[in-house]
Amino acid sequence: MHFLAISNDTLFIYYALSNVIYLGLLIVAIVKNVRHRHRLGSQRLELVKASPFTPPITLIVPAHNEERSIVGSVGALLGLEYPCLEVIVVNDGSDDATMEKLRQAYQLQTARILYIADIATAPLHAIYRSRLDPRLFVLDKEAAGCKADAINAGINAATSPYICVVDADSILEKESLIRIMAGVFADPGRVVAVGGIVRVLNGSRVVNNQIEEVRLPKSPIEVMQVIEYLRAFLVGREAWAGFNMLPIISGAFGVFQRDLVLQVGGFRTHAVGEDLDLVIRMHRRLRENHRAYHIDFIPDPTCWTEVPNDLKSLARQRARWHKGLIDTLWPNRDMLFRARYGRVGWLILPYMWIFEFFAPIIEVVGYTTIILAVISGVLSKSFFLQFLLFGYAFATLISIGSVLLEEMTFRRYSDWREVARLLIYCLFEHFPYRQLTMVWRLQGIWQYLRGDLQWRSMKRVGISTDPVA
Amino acid sequence: MESVSKGIEKLGAAGLVLEAILVSLLGIFLLIGFIVLRRWYRGRYFQKRNQRTVALRSQWNEILSGEILAEDWRFDALDCDIVESILLDSIETSPADELPALQDCLRVSGLLDMRIYEARTSRGLKQRTALLALGRTRAMEAIPALASGLDSHLRETRIAAVRGLGRTARMEAAIPILDRIVTGQFDAPERSLKNALVNCCRSYPEVLVNYVEQTQGPVRELLARVLGELASPELGEELLVLASDVLPEVRASAARALGNTNSSYTLPALHTLAADPEWFVRLRAVVALGQIENIGKIRILLRSVCDANRHVRQRAAWALARMEPQLDQILEDVVATKDDYALQAFVSELERSGAMEKIVSGFTGAGHHSAETALIEVVAEARKRVELSGKAVAASAGSL
Repeated sequence: MHFLAISNDTLFIYYALSNVIYLGLLIVAIVKNVRHRHRLGSQRLELVKASPFTPPITLIVPAHNEERSIVGSVGALLGLEYPCLEVIVVNDGSDDATMEKLRQAYQLQTARILYIADIATAPLHAIYRSRLDPRLFVLDKEAAGCKADAINAGINAATSPYICVVDADSILEKESLIRIMAGVFADPGRVVAVGGIVRVLNGSRVVNNQIEEVRLPKSPIEVMQVIEYLRAFLVGREAWAGFNMLPIISGAFGVFQRDLVLQVGGFRTHAVGEDLDLVIRMHRRLRENHRAYHIDFIPDPTCWTEVPNDLKSLARQRARWHKGLIDTLWPNRDMLFRARYGRVGWLILPYMWIFEFFAPIIEVVGYTTIILAVISGVLSKSFFLQFLLFGYAFATLISIGSVLLEEMTFRRYSDWREVARLLIYCLFEHFPYRQLTMVWRLQGIWQYLRGDLQWRSMKRVGISTDPVA
Repeated sequence: MESVSKGIEKLGAAGLVLEAILVSLLGIFLLIGFIVLRRWYRGRYFQKRNQRTVALRSQWNEILSGEILAEDWRFDALDCDIVESILLDSIETSPADELPALQDCLRVSGLLDMRIYEARTSRGLKQRTALLALGRTRAMEAIPALASGLDSHLRETRIAAVRGLGRTARMEAAIPILDRIVTGQFDAPERSLKNALVNCCRSYPEVLVNYVEQTQGPVRELLARVLGELASPELGEELLVLASDVLPEVRASAARALGNTNSSYTLPALHTLAADPEWFVRLRAVVALGQIENIGKIRILLRSVCDANRHVRQRAAWALARMEPQLDQILEDVVATKDDYALQAFVSELERSGAMEKIVSGFTGAGHHSAETALIEVVAEARKRVELSGKAVAASAGSL
């Protein structure tokens, strides 16, 4: 009985604290986003485009079995508006026709470039350059079974002071690169990495590898992910970046100082969440060296990415994300509550342990004990129901707040029917979708404890020029 | 100890939680209501605005000439806003000879005075909006009001004033900013200051030179960076003084500025800066060398392509690889340096610029087969050395 009471109390405090933190983040994000939106009005990107002093940037595109989308994605990347651009596609031992499609579409020929592996990677077969566009290079390498190895090969071959890692199944908006680099130009001495927003591509109409019309996907599972992405990027990342505690820059779209990435040894091979892992190691190194730095997030440069459209793929993705979380938190546990790591060690890492990693465990234990408490009379039924309703209502409030934030700033979903759908789906995000993700995250913990760190492939539709059904 | 849930229950039959639920539900309804209302209002507003814009556009010449009196549109908030938007957009895009007519319309209609009044007396967002709008008018009389915004205790207002002054693109608008930043007490983001000064001083960058001389430390660096963006041949030997400044950032800016000039002193100055102890000064010098048209720069770039810093090497190689007619000779010169890293950088840049094929065919066609073979051998040997040192994996594919 005593245990049940303690458990109930813990769950209550946990829920309240979690919601209060997210409410705080939402308020900070609203203020930051609205201010950023005002400033965008007077941004003069043409000056940056015209300047010969704009630093070159290398786009690294790791590709493993991406035959469906690789040609379109690379075409879109070469069409980005940036004055000094290099695109390196790393074919990571694809079993499908990825390499063949690239070879045909871009007339690849062997390039005589000396490649020095500052970061050790799986062996390269060859380096190719496009006859059609000399800015395009393709590294053909043996598969190492992880995306990080492919990115590291790209970093080795990159010649620019800044690198940008982009997923092969993603689409960057034409000005996204120059907009994300505006974050670097703001303070090149301090800003060492910048993340942009990743949005859900499913459902939108794509013409010539550019988003022609932003539309919500049809299936509920995809719409739920739209809401999740809005909340994670526009609220979570925006607010954490405001306090210089951004723990992750999405692997789908982020800019990093190449030298710093080399200093921390590149992306950790076989890390499950290589993007999270890299940013935490960057924080570690920079704080250990007492460097004044900022890892920023900018909400307007947009990367559109395909998300899972079936439950099985989504379950795999979420399990993998959770494995990635523990795979990063555990090796960096020595950063917790250490003065030298400042707010990263005192705030964001404990937050990630408690409110991200332990969340599914606490929720499952909490749901179980609260039901037992009701059955055994420790907790009244009415209070139980009220508590559940409160948790649901407050979390839904935060989700709707994310949609509001999108409405007040970028308004990518211009049709009011789309917004109405988003709002309706907000009501279902915390029941039953949240409980499903909880199960998948528990699966992730279980797989990690069993030592199962395999990258399970996701079913993809591929970038289409027609609206995705 | 009593449990939290029991305590809450005792406080009033879980009334507190119930209240929280109600507040949350109310919050949900309010947010949804706000989103719906905002959408509805914006939809109607833009529809009405579109209609009025079409109507006012059809009478635009009469409005501009004063045939339609300002009183007819000035006191309707929507019409006034539309006319002001059109005027300000036109000022930004029109040729210089059309500017006086547009500014006269602003003056005669009282819009300019209204914005000056708002900039001086309003607070918060309204004041900041007025400051930005004033800047867009590019009118001389807007400058004192904008300058007064620089003294606001609110940082956001100071930023708006800086941006407004920048938008006037008038040299006179730079003076209030410069007068304040030389004190070292003025707090505004460097990027905003830099952009504003670049816009204002573009036609007369000489004004910056005096201020650079008066200042020290970060302010001096900032001004030097602006000067670096704007410098023209008219600055003459002032740049040579900056090129020998004690602050590396100032020397780097001088290097950048020299890239915009092509005088007799440009090459010797860049020659010196390309050998500076600070790598970023050397980098700026090499970038500047890439910009100027002077065959004498090859000698300096050949030295820079052997620089210890990777960025400097790459940028020098980039500049060399784009000197099309001299590429054969440059390739031989780079091989002759016997610097593996220089060769790597140069060959890679040749590949990137697409010039490699031309060179190889040129060698073969002109009977210089031995030069190509030598190049291949040198690269192969370099690769072997790198492999032996265990530092790297060579993946130089193809014929090399």
